[in-house]
Amino acid sequence: MMLETKQINKYFYEPEKHQVLKNISLQITSGELTAVYGESGSGKSTLLYILSTLDRDFEGRLQILNHEIKELSAAELTNFRNQHIGFVYQFHYLLSEFNVLQNIMLPAMKLGAKTKEEIKHDAILLLKELGMQDVAKRASYKLSGGQQQRVAIARALINNPSLIVADEPTGNLDQKNSDMIFDLLKEVTSKREKAVVIATHNPKIYQNSDKAIEMIDGSIRL
Amino acid sequence: MSKHITAFTIIFIAFQYLRARKKQSLLATLGVTLGVTTFIVMINFMTGVNDFLDDAVFNGSPDMIISAKQNKSSSKQLFKTQINSLTKIDKIDTFLTKQENIQSFAHQIISPAILVSENNQLPGSINGVFPSSEKNMVDLERRLIEGEGFDSLLEKDNAILLGISLARKLQVSTGDHLKMILPNGKNKRLQVAGIFSFGITTIDNVRTYFPARTLQNLLGQHDAITHVHLKLKNRDDVGLKTEASNPMNAVIIEDWKDANKTIVIGNKVRDILTWSVSFALLLVAGFGIYNILNSTVVQKRKDIAVLKTIGYAANDIIFIFLVQSVSIGLLGALFGAGLGYVISYVISTTPLDTTDFIIVDTYPINFKLGYYILGVVFGVATTILSGYFPSKKASSVDPVTVIRGI
Repeated sequence: MMLETKQINKYFYEPEKHQVLKNISLQITSGELTAVYGESGSGKSTLLYILSTLDRDFEGRLQILNHEIKELSAAELTNFRNQHIGFVYQFHYLLSEFNVLQNIMLPAMKLGAKTKEEIKHDAILLLKELGMQDVAKRASYKLSGGQQQRVAIARALINNPSLIVADEPTGNLDQKNSDMIFDLLKEVTSKREKAVVIATHNPKIYQNSDKAIEMIDGSIRL
Repeated sequence: MSKHITAFTIIFIAFQYLRARKKQSLLATLGVTLGVTTFIVMINFMTGVNDFLDDAVFNGSPDMIISAKQNKSSSKQLFKTQINSLTKIDKIDTFLTKQENIQSFAHQIISPAILVSENNQLPGSINGVFPSSEKNMVDLERRLIEGEGFDSLLEKDNAILLGISLARKLQVSTGDHLKMILPNGKNKRLQVAGIFSFGITTIDNVRTYFPARTLQNLLGQHDAITHVHLKLKNRDDVGLKTEASNPMNAVIIEDWKDANKTIVIGNKVRDILTWSVSFALLLVAGFGIYNILNSTVVQKRKDIAVLKTIGYAANDIIFIFLVQSVSIGLLGALFGAGLGYVISYVISTTPLDTTDFIIVDTYPINFKLGYYILGVVFGVATTILSGYFPSKKASSVDPVTVIRGI
């Protein structure tokens, strides 16, 4: 099993104690695109942050690639995330001081498993697949929204992680770009055998995903 | 290799941030430069002045003086013509010879006297010295303005050496004659053999050198010694003072700190001034760096959050910001050291109008490598300190909070 949760409960304490997630148990396998959808405040983003190991302040168990996430030290977790998890956000969050290629290279430069030349080669290959090799040297803020989101996906893929987590990846895009990004994520799932989890409002996405999980008031609707 | 490539990336990120704020970074660098420059120029100049004064005063006066206590019974005499001499001089010599910290010592007989020239009469005192031992105490050759040094006292029994200020008041120069009148009424015709200057008016106003034998004979007190002057190997170790008071009862022992209180205090004041002004300037520079980094951290919260999610650890983030502050600090400090050297050099070549100061003709400046190293270390330490808190703040950015858009 790629990812498994058992009985996850999560509370917010501000402004008053409030249970955001209730008994979440789910399984995610490689080669599957899972969409988590539901109203604002239903807890889907919160769940996504837990699945992506950013938020460890919860009750219950989270296992990814047979690692018990809560048992990892902070340093181990950082490494684990670097190696096994890729992120795509609603906003691209590219670093404006760096060009497109440098942005894509950042996670691999931290991992340090390859030389700089190899990493550069990988990054250019990814850009080619996305049809964006022309903008490699361009400053990231000079790209269109759809282009920026594709660069963000390339950055998420550079270390060849097993899990891709995307939080409203099309939330900020028009229909055409939104379709393109979704198709790209589907391709990543099937061709690269990744487990992809998307939190979304977009019916077109959750209706066309391999698996759709609806969140209502902090629980999974069965 | 992994550590290497990570460090490279982190430094690269740090420099990208610096480049994005060229003006502010430059200003912060200038701040550090100013602090370090001031520190170096001030410490060079202040210690230069301290050393110059030390040299002038401590070479002109002994580190320690042993003299006789006032004799109460003899003060009842109506007209006191006998001067107080040290009674057990042999015992004192034996004691001093055994002391490790003593470099040299010399006997003197000092008597009040009136000096009369063709144009003026001045009351003062005559220092009767033994030229061969006094040579080890005072480097007079370096301070002679005209005439000869101690050797002339050996050749003629009526030769006298005068401080420059005293010679001016008496309006005499080398070769001129003077009359000396002693308390017992005896007088003698003297010839000025040399004029010297220590650069310190309090010395040059009163100091005379005269053959001790002649003075003893004139006073009718053969072999009388009033003072023993000591030169110490380690001037700061005045432990001898308490040690000596037991075997040499009935004497007064005065060390250079007692005799030169104003100079000791002056040195202290200059030290305090140097350190406090430099510290204040570096503090201001530190605040500048703190400010820049803090605003960078606030503006770059999203970037920091992203870096954390893609695998950069808290320590990497601290490093990114510390590299920025240390770069500013190191660059500023090195510029400061260079500029400090240039300014110090210019000051050291500036002529100083010293009519009597024969030992300096430009401002005294100390060029010690240690001060430059110290300045650079201070500059960098300030920036590390002021960069640490913003860095810590950056490292504690919570990615979830940022991504949620709170």
